[in-house]
Amino acid sequence: MLEQQVYVTDAAIATALYLSMTLGKPLLVEGPAGVGKTEIAKALSNALGTKLIRLQCYEGLDATTALYEWNYPKQLLHIKLEESSPTSEAEKEAAIFSEAFLLKRPLLQAITEHERAPVLLIDEIDRSDEEFEAFLLEVLSDFQVTIPEIGTIKATHRPHVVLTSNRSRDLSDALRRRCLYHWIDYPSLEKELEIVRAKVPAMSETLSSKITLVMQAARAMSLSKVPGIAETLDWATALVALDAERLDRDLMKETMGCFLKDEADIGTFTSELEGGRLEMVDATATPQVE
Amino acid sequence: MVVPSTMSDPETENLVKFCRTLREHGLVVTPSEVVVAVTTLRLIDSSDRAEVFLSLRSVLTSRVDDFPVFEELFETFWNQLPEKLVERESLSNPSSLVRHLPKRTTKGLAFYLENWSNSRGADTEPTKVPGASDIESGVEKDFTAFGNDELEQIAQLARRLVKRLARNPSRRWKPVRKGPRVNLRRSLRQSLKTGGELIELSYKQRKPKRTKLVVICDVSGSMDLYSRLLLQFIYGLQNSFAKVETFVFSTSLSRITGDLKNKTYQRALDRLSSKVRGWSGGTRIGASLVTFNAEWLQRIDKRTIVIILSDGWDTGEPEQLAEAMSQLRKRSGRLIWLNPLLGSSTYQPMTRGMQAALPFINVFAPAHDLASLRALEPHLVL
Repeated sequence: MLEQQVYVTDAAIATALYLSMTLGKPLLVEGPAGVGKTEIAKALSNALGTKLIRLQCYEGLDATTALYEWNYPKQLLHIKLEESSPTSEAEKEAAIFSEAFLLKRPLLQAITEHERAPVLLIDEIDRSDEEFEAFLLEVLSDFQVTIPEIGTIKATHRPHVVLTSNRSRDLSDALRRRCLYHWIDYPSLEKELEIVRAKVPAMSETLSSKITLVMQAARAMSLSKVPGIAETLDWATALVALDAERLDRDLMKETMGCFLKDEADIGTFTSELEGGRLEMVDATATPQVE
Repeated sequence: MVVPSTMSDPETENLVKFCRTLREHGLVVTPSEVVVAVTTLRLIDSSDRAEVFLSLRSVLTSRVDDFPVFEELFETFWNQLPEKLVERESLSNPSSLVRHLPKRTTKGLAFYLENWSNSRGADTEPTKVPGASDIESGVEKDFTAFGNDELEQIAQLARRLVKRLARNPSRRWKPVRKGPRVNLRRSLRQSLKTGGELIELSYKQRKPKRTKLVVICDVSGSMDLYSRLLLQFIYGLQNSFAKVETFVFSTSLSRITGDLKNKTYQRALDRLSSKVRGWSGGTRIGASLVTFNAEWLQRIDKRTIVIILSDGWDTGEPEQLAEAMSQLRKRSGRLIWLNPLLGSSTYQPMTRGMQAALPFINVFAPAHDLASLRALEPHLVL
């Protein structure tokens, strides 16, 4: 199912998703940056043909930005417009606290989705504060929200929830317990090659296997920002855009900014390259030509 | 949730036992996880080893560090799980496997733990997964036993502390485009341009408190075991976009704020060692603090927290130290002294220097492991 969505999967991810859907439990996905955690949710929503609702977490994220908020300017305008109308105060109040004046934020959106269960992606939960995590627990266990002025809104369809975390902070045991757990690591050579070929079909087979070899070698170096699959794909796309036929040192140097995002890392990588330690990978083509 | 009935069937019984074993080995497996696990086994093909493994791993683990323990224990669980399956494959004596289970399990885990601690002892271990929850495994470990690969945890902790520092709201408000409270005064003022009609609302939120941090670290010989790690901590503090000033001293004081603002820790260290004189030399806390007071005291106010990292072995005059400490105390918002030796239960702060400094210290705390640094958090709120 996922293969159709150009997402190269394995049995572990498939099993985790299957269980998460049948058991109705959120799936917590952890792993280093750029290994395709967010991509899981996207592929899932495409495969199910449902909406993807995304909540990007950040520090200081609170209930009003995640759940709902009243549209104050609209309420004020409405009061002004109704000033001269004969409706009673109670009616006016009921009017401005109706759903038309409610700004639905991702969590409420996911709960009130009418047609079919959406995929709710709570991205980088580790970036939010502990307080928000506790609040999220409440929503994720009942899938209902109480708005004082309207009442309790219960989910019509339980959303499929995917949470991702980069482990910048340790999540609470309470949250972990409520979720199924999956860990994605950097892919093996074969899997990465498969991913590159699926996502960047325009690239020649020899070149794609070469760049995956380089990436695997790069991950083995002690870099401060280890490149993920996202970087591999960026680089592959860049090489295709440059109509690159083969991979030599000059081209490497010109394009390595695609996957090295730190000045010190570029230094490390260049010295490895100059030292010929990547020779078996990329410079094989150089001596033969010219 | 409904507990699936037929608790008597051996499959379920084994699974419950397995869950209990996992719990004994520190995994978060509560009864509700057990129920989910039992339900899971009915949803999948329970004779497919890979499928059972992946499914139960999803359900019963909650962090990547749980994986090795789970794998180890799963092996024993699987070997005696579907007795019918084993019989089907006509293997002899399935019951003996069951009887030997507890013994095998403990032995297996002991072996695993042994290997694990061995691999930790070695300085660099590439197979280790980097990340936040590694902190937990290192909590009780003294810094002297830390490997290079664990340095990152310390920096991470430092960054968190500083974030905490920046998050304390002050009493003052500032106008913001979108905030938790309506700024009535501003909204009314703005409404004048629309003839007194309130159309656009303006918001406000609390200003963050501007707490400054001054860290003075002892890098003399007696601190050698710790200063490497504590410097990493300070490096983390310094690179977190907060107002942090750092100094090191052994026989004389030097300001290293700028040197620490470097891309990588290694580069920062290189710069430091070329600059700081008397690294790992003798200790003159008193004299160093006097220098500090002479040059930097006017920068310190009641919103500044001063942290001194030292073991208190001073070769100078205690009176000099006491005088300097008293000045510092008067100017600063809080004076914290972190002493790595305090981590040992037998340590008494009896050295002359420590005795002289003690009366002026607000918080006297250990700094020998991650837990002690983490315990610092509440003290960083002014």
